[in-house]
Amino acid sequence: MHDNDLAIDIRGVTKRYEEHVAVRDLSLQVPRGAVYGLLGPNGAGKTTTIRMLLDIIAPDAGSIAIFGRPNRESGLLNRVGYLPEERGLYRKMQVRRVLRFLAELKGLKAGEADKRIDEWLDRFGLKTKERDWGDSKVDELSRGMQQKVQFIATLIHDPDLVILDEPFSGLDPINAQALKDAVVELKRRGKTVVFSTHVMENAERMCDAVCIIARGEKVLDGQVTEVRSSSGRRNVALALVGNTAARPSENGVGQVLGDRQLVRHFDDNNRYFEIELAQGADAQDLLHRLIQAGARIERFELILPSLHQIFIERVGASNVETGMSGHG
Amino acid sequence: MDKFWVVAKREYLERVRSRWFVMMTLFVPVFITAIFLIPAWVTARSAAGTGSRNIVILDATGTGLGKRVSAILTSDTTAAQRASAATAPQPQVREVTAAALPAAEDSATREVMRPNNVVGYLVLDDSTLSTRRVRYAGRNASSIVDTDKLKSAVRQAFTAVMLQREGVKPETISLISNLSLSMSQTRIDERGKGGSGQAAIFLGVGIGVLLLMSIIFHGQNVLRGVLEEKSTRVAEVVISSIKPEMLLAGKVAGAGAVGLTQQVLWIAISAYLITNFAPLVLKSAGVPVSGGGGSALGVSLGGLTVGLFIVIVLYFLFGFVFYASLLAAAGSMVNTEQDAQQAAMPIMYLLIGSWLFVNSVIVNPTGTIAKVLSWLPFSSPIIMPMRMGLSPVPWTSVAGSLAVCALGCVLAIWLAARIYRVGMLMYGKRPSLAEVARWVRYA
Repeated sequence: MHDNDLAIDIRGVTKRYEEHVAVRDLSLQVPRGAVYGLLGPNGAGKTTTIRMLLDIIAPDAGSIAIFGRPNRESGLLNRVGYLPEERGLYRKMQVRRVLRFLAELKGLKAGEADKRIDEWLDRFGLKTKERDWGDSKVDELSRGMQQKVQFIATLIHDPDLVILDEPFSGLDPINAQALKDAVVELKRRGKTVVFSTHVMENAERMCDAVCIIARGEKVLDGQVTEVRSSSGRRNVALALVGNTAARPSENGVGQVLGDRQLVRHFDDNNRYFEIELAQGADAQDLLHRLIQAGARIERFELILPSLHQIFIERVGASNVETGMSGHG
Repeated sequence: MDKFWVVAKREYLERVRSRWFVMMTLFVPVFITAIFLIPAWVTARSAAGTGSRNIVILDATGTGLGKRVSAILTSDTTAAQRASAATAPQPQVREVTAAALPAAEDSATREVMRPNNVVGYLVLDDSTLSTRRVRYAGRNASSIVDTDKLKSAVRQAFTAVMLQREGVKPETISLISNLSLSMSQTRIDERGKGGSGQAAIFLGVGIGVLLLMSIIFHGQNVLRGVLEEKSTRVAEVVISSIKPEMLLAGKVAGAGAVGLTQQVLWIAISAYLITNFAPLVLKSAGVPVSGGGGSALGVSLGGLTVGLFIVIVLYFLFGFVFYASLLAAAGSMVNTEQDAQQAAMPIMYLLIGSWLFVNSVIVNPTGTIAKVLSWLPFSSPIIMPMRMGLSPVPWTSVAGSLAVCALGCVLAIWLAARIYRVGMLMYGKRPSLAEVARWVRYA
């Protein structure tokens, strides 16, 4: 087996639909063993890209390779695990049978599948001394349990590449934590994980590299640290004692922040402000002015702009809104 | 190909395990047995009935006609009834004059109206002799079996009286009046004598019904299964692991295997029930039964040869694949059960439409309608086996029609797969025909 260093190599891919272009001339490379984030507003073309990657739909132009081989090659997708955004299982089927079916579809032998199913059910607390949920129908499981089963189905065949479409949507904090742990463990084992999200915090926390797409086009991509420093800017995180941050204009702080000479833009995060300094402005000046204005400072920190800031800046808030109606 | 079997296996096992399958598999044979046995029981029951004998005969002809009718009614018994003949009522013959007839009728009417008495009265008078008119009034006046029996008894008696007048010997008369006829029908074709004509019709129609039922039940099941995969959103995970064409083929094959399993069980259970219950049922109706119940009901599959059997199986498979693929495509286009039924309509029209011509094919198996329908891929699976059962069909026609049918299947699968590929991931409103055509072009 001759594998490439890239887990995914998408080149010049375009997908047109009747009324619009879902993905336009998109190229992106995901190195092996990376945790990669596909970021974009709803309707940006994330799901379309993922579906083309999985050969569910065919691109109109461009090429897609997985582990250096064309993704249409038979058997190749057996090495890929996929968790779609819209999740569901056969409702009337026994959990164990659903999992065996999905595992067999990925080329696993029934005996091996059964062994792994037991391990996974055990690990996710779906098989305890009191109750083995594997023998229940999918219907009888709670939503959280169904999500676990779905996640088992994604990983049961021990894929080398795991693709998760909006994996955090609809997860409670406990399952979200379990998912995060699972991703980290996959990376430790040398697997490649690609996930799409429009929640930048998740991406910032977990991803080695990201690609931001909007309106079907790539806006930027690269290592997360590179992306954050590439803007050449440094931002300031400012938190004030008490909950004064909510109404800065009342205590003179607002006047400082409103000074266009000093501050280009600020974003009220409620707990703290993310402040983008104006061209040529010095953070020390800002600190000085703030103290003069009588601000009681709890936190003053030079930070890289968050992915969220970059995202808003590059994609534009209006785009996020218009993108809401479409389907990614 | 492995994945095809995985899908087919799931489809088969999940359906066979379902409560619905178990219930239908048991219920239908009971139903079929009932359909066979209830009419047989009713017929046997009324044949054994004595309604036509518990009557008053008013004879104003003065020729002894009434006595003869009574004698015929009494002697018209089967072996079983003969046992109870001693207790069975005899017709009461009252010979009256023409003038006394109205009064006698009045009193007979009153007798019938009294409960647990005679059930009716028969009037024989001059008009019977001159214009062959007979009147009957009674509680069972609308019973076809009873009135037929009376009519034939009067006819026999009348013939006897006429023959007697012509001076025919009494022995000859009795021979003529008790003459009973039985005819056996045998079909002849190029290969020589075949099974009975009735068995061929039974076989032909039976095959058609089985195919029709399995397409309606299991084809619709494919549609519902596709719809389920779509609405539960499991489709996307499945399609990311297997080509839609393979998924479609596996689903159709699995559902088809369920259909075949069910039919084999239906036939086996029905045959068992009928052979074991027919004698019991008929006995309870007072009819003695010798041998198996099946033969008592005149059912035999004498016309079935190995060649015909293979052809039937081929038509069955092609027919099922053709319709089930299209139904799967219909299921993939929509999101709700109601929309699915609507999308399936045109396909079901093709099927039901073909079935509407069955009668004309039975009446004229070599006619133009039969010939045309046995070539079209959507109707040939139903019509051709029936035609072959009814009349000889040249093997070139069978081979040609099977080839056309196979081609039709390939086209149906191709079309279905393209619609399926796009439709499975389309949510939202039901697509128009134009949109579906676009899917087919771009998929």
